[in-house]
Amino acid sequence: MVSHPFLLRSALIPYYVVLASFLLISLTSWTAEACSTENSNCVQVKVNNIKNIPLENMVVYLEPLAGQVLPQQNEKVTISQHSKSFIPYISVSQSTAPVSFENKDDITHHIYSADSENKFSFKIRAGKTDSKTQFNHAAEIAMGCNIHDWMSGYLLIVDTPYFAKTDAQGLASFSLKELGKYRVVVWHPQMRTENNRMFLEKDVLTNDAVIVTLKQGMDEIPAQKSDEDFDFLSDY
Amino acid sequence: MIETGIRLCQFLVLMTFVTLHNTQAAEYTVHGIADLRVSYIDSVDKGYLNSGQGKLGLGDGLHFSLAQLGADISVSWENGFSAHGIVNAYPKASGGGESTVLGITEAYLKYRSLPTSSGYRLQTKIGIFYPEISLENNAYAWASKDTLDSSTVNTWIGEEIRVLGSELKVTRLGRLNNDKYDLSVSATAFMNNDPAGALLSWHGWTISNRQTLWTEKRPFPWFPARADGQALAGQADKSDPFLELDHRVGYHVRGEWKLRGKGELSAGYYDNRATPYKVIDGQYGWRTRFYHLGARWRFSQNLSLTAQYLSGDTLMQSQNKVDVVNNDYASGFVALHYNWQAISANKKHKSTVRVEDFSVTDNDNTWGDNNNEQGQALTLNHSYRLSKPWFLSAEFTLIDSHRPARYYTAQPVDLIEKQWQLAARYFF
Repeated sequence: MVSHPFLLRSALIPYYVVLASFLLISLTSWTAEACSTENSNCVQVKVNNIKNIPLENMVVYLEPLAGQVLPQQNEKVTISQHSKSFIPYISVSQSTAPVSFENKDDITHHIYSADSENKFSFKIRAGKTDSKTQFNHAAEIAMGCNIHDWMSGYLLIVDTPYFAKTDAQGLASFSLKELGKYRVVVWHPQMRTENNRMFLEKDVLTNDAVIVTLKQGMDEIPAQKSDEDFDFLSDY
Repeated sequence: MIETGIRLCQFLVLMTFVTLHNTQAAEYTVHGIADLRVSYIDSVDKGYLNSGQGKLGLGDGLHFSLAQLGADISVSWENGFSAHGIVNAYPKASGGGESTVLGITEAYLKYRSLPTSSGYRLQTKIGIFYPEISLENNAYAWASKDTLDSSTVNTWIGEEIRVLGSELKVTRLGRLNNDKYDLSVSATAFMNNDPAGALLSWHGWTISNRQTLWTEKRPFPWFPARADGQALAGQADKSDPFLELDHRVGYHVRGEWKLRGKGELSAGYYDNRATPYKVIDGQYGWRTRFYHLGARWRFSQNLSLTAQYLSGDTLMQSQNKVDVVNNDYASGFVALHYNWQAISANKKHKSTVRVEDFSVTDNDNTWGDNNNEQGQALTLNHSYRLSKPWFLSAEFTLIDSHRPARYYTAQPVDLIEKQWQLAARYFF
């Protein structure tokens, strides 16, 4: 018996098109929400607190454990100084990616990191941008202002392009170039764990969903607010 | 005195050049205040600024004034050094004010290090400055932030306490130690504050916004012991509070605990270590020592408190070491501030109520110089922020005092003084 080659019946083509596009639309809408690029290996991480309530603004990053190839994430990260506070409070970037500081206030700030391995300081005048600072290795950088002591911000430098901050639903999504075994790390400066981190090793499959639940409560995030409500203080 | 001043100026200029040479980007800033006022006073003829026995700056009647014109000029460099010059002018008020004066109130060089990885920061100051005592006068040019006139405690600090010295302050930042509080301790060694205590003894506690300019001499009321042949005949007509008479170094130490977002508690001790029997050109050394306590606390978003207490003694002797003036003194206030945020947006309205209690106890037997005093004061202030730099304020002050020395100039020993003020203050 000669087997017939598989042929599309022309009459069925419109049905196939409708079906395929339906599939594509539902798939793209899923990836648009979950991952940044199409046709990729999507993984979603959800972070919950001890009471199983989703946590926003938690940093999640994925470190390859099976020699997976990583692209470089070179997107510039911008840290603003606005209303005498660091905005955002937490920034993340991959090492060697450009970091830019933007002073949106009408006064000078004196930004510093006191950490012995990543010490830096510079004054940034009203309305100016400073892009001189660059970080070539993973680091957890606590930043302050030597003029306004209540200002506090963090910059986490990671060695992977797979990093994100959780959204209001506690979700962080990644589109991986290669699947396989990864270490899923959740970080927040107020997390009550060693090095403010939680680790999870996971063989990541297509469209995988990982839930990380904190085992302890979080410390209170310090308010970046002066105790004084007066703009014309002579303190510096 | 002048020689010391010249040497200080030379030093500051030299330091400025040294720091300039070492760095590139210097930032120049000028900030300040202009304070326009209308005051109506119900008191005695003359306020204490005009050598009167009134406890307010001006005497009876209606006064229009530019109550303060102050500028805070500074240069700061990338390396943590900064140089500061604070200039204040007090133009003559209408209706019997003192003559117009203009001069320097502070001039110092400051260095603030970056915090170490363990959160310690060093700050040093050298030059002419206020020891850190007042919790009210932290606006530009030492203006009072929440009221038009300072409390009795800080009116005195502004009048007689200023040093030529060097302060070292160490702060431990909680942020870098996972603590919610910051701690700081400071120590100051100083010269040029030997006659401090004379004006407090001779006019008692007072209320105004006036600061003594560096090298300025200030008058005080007449009393019989100043007459020829009496114990204080040798005292000059005006007191010159910022003199060095005996080349002995005085000191001030202070500690502060600050809980982020809540407030702070502080305590300090001042001792000018002046030789009480030393006299040069009618200016005596006054051994003045006091401790001071301070608190600032935020109870809620809208309600906060400022309180200070100061207590100490002062001693002045004749050249053969007999006590001429030996006084104890104390003064404290509690001020509550309310931000009317709930009612109006942008924190535009703020009210302050301040109550004070003050006393001077005369422990010597000098005839014709009774320094005893007891009193209380109440200040009500409401301020409205018209725009970013403009503040409109209405302030009422009531002082009820018992002061036997008023008898010497035929004025009531028990006196109630009232002051109503309207002001437009511009900060830049």
